[in-house]
Amino acid sequence: MIATDHCSLITFHHAAGVLAHLVQTGFGGFYDGMAHWAATPEDVMVVGALALLAALGGKDRVRSLVVTLPLAWFAGGALALVIPLLVPGQVMTIVSFGLTGLLVALDRRLPVPLYQALIIAAAAIHGVGNGGAMREAGLGWLGLTGASVSVFIITSLLPALLVRIEKPAGRIAMRVGGSWLAAAALLMIGWWLRAG
Amino acid sequence: MKRIIALWCLLPLTGWTHELRPGYLDISGLGNGRAEVTWKLPVVGTVREAPEVVFDAETRTTTPPTEQVSGDSRILRWEIERRGGLDGAVVRIEAPDGRFPDALASIRRLDGRHTTYRVTPEQPSFTIESAPGWGRLAATYLMLGIEHILLGFDHLLFVLGLLLIVDGTRMLVKTITAFTLAHSLSLAIATFRIVEVPEGPLNACIALSILFLGPEIVRKWRGGDSFTLRHPWVVAFAFGLLHGIGFASGLSVTGLPHASIPLALLWFNLGVEAGQLLFVFIVLAMQRAWKSIDLRWPLVLRRAPGYAIGILGAFWTIDRLAATFTI
Repeated sequence: MIATDHCSLITFHHAAGVLAHLVQTGFGGFYDGMAHWAATPEDVMVVGALALLAALGGKDRVRSLVVTLPLAWFAGGALALVIPLLVPGQVMTIVSFGLTGLLVALDRRLPVPLYQALIIAAAAIHGVGNGGAMREAGLGWLGLTGASVSVFIITSLLPALLVRIEKPAGRIAMRVGGSWLAAAALLMIGWWLRAG
Repeated sequence: MKRIIALWCLLPLTGWTHELRPGYLDISGLGNGRAEVTWKLPVVGTVREAPEVVFDAETRTTTPPTEQVSGDSRILRWEIERRGGLDGAVVRIEAPDGRFPDALASIRRLDGRHTTYRVTPEQPSFTIESAPGWGRLAATYLMLGIEHILLGFDHLLFVLGLLLIVDGTRMLVKTITAFTLAHSLSLAIATFRIVEVPEGPLNACIALSILFLGPEIVRKWRGGDSFTLRHPWVVAFAFGLLHGIGFASGLSVTGLPHASIPLALLWFNLGVEAGQLLFVFIVLAMQRAWKSIDLRWPLVLRRAPGYAIGILGAFWTIDRLAATFTI
């Protein structure tokens, strides 16, 4: 059992629960895709964690995030739409935001290439999950575009707002936010292990 | 190859311009649990099997439906009877594939009480409530207004075009206010049928308003000068009148409940404004955010929205003119 669980950490499999929180806004596929992103805690938290990390790293990191994250997200989703069996295990999505939250809590300033790799990896994992959900729901490219536009809007607004905070107390608050995200990830992994 | 890709990119664009053509279900109480039902559906393209209005088991049909085609709508009429009255009746819209255009259901009673419901494929049924529902009417038309602007890609593109040619906060407020005033005014005028404009030419003119902004945006990039760049609010007001009639054309198809037209119109307009302001807020906030982090997009990306407005405006103008003259 444990071996199987660990396998899902490092391999892709078809997630049965991708439809669990699909939201129907009544406004069509594009907005359903946007709402789906907003209603997926793992997706929201990873964007929040990356925004905090970028804001702690300064304007150059924020610029890098605004450009890279939505593109990588869309690319991951496109891959899942084209290759139907690609859907990441839930634990991968949890680990990605938990790890990013931990880096925020530690206020770790990663070298640029490593930082870029982290963004691309996290965005690809969550993008693939998004793409899988959109495919299952029949929302396809329109839904994925909606989700990616959501990511683009939040990535443009949130870190730009946070990066202005220069007071030490503000930075501490951001690090506390990161530690909460890491703790939430640990909790979710615990639930996941318990649920088997 | 490039031409093929460009054509392929343009193919789905017609789907981006949402025409608000909801169905309209009217249930008018006749007393003693009897009611007349009118089911009005827009006919789009080839006529498919029409979605059916299904009442709960306690309701029986007393007269068989009669069908009539009026303009671009298909109207079915019949009478029903329900023991104990209409209150509490469950009404459901059923389509073979589960897909049907969003519909407004209007319940009118003999004592003047009036309730409105919004029925969608996601929420295909509703229960007729006894309490008079101005709140429900407001919520229904507010959502309809928000839906219309959020799915009206052409309207949003026009607003984006205005944002691209306007300089300064004061002029921005002036321009957006002029657009809002104009389309609110013409929405009311067209809804009360003081002015009637055929849908085909109207849609072509709306597309033309978007195309008109394309060259103005380019002129602004080149540091040029024009009446539009000096007084964008005038252009916003003039074209806003057209866009307002466009909003009304969608509402007129449904046949608004006569007793509630002013209220429905008010909430529909508020919905349109809310959606429009949300869009303006997001665009401006993103511009400001990029400026604050010194993010400078490559020239080709900075100019993409302007060219997209020109290209789409031209495409829709030709497409809609062709549709107007071929029908």
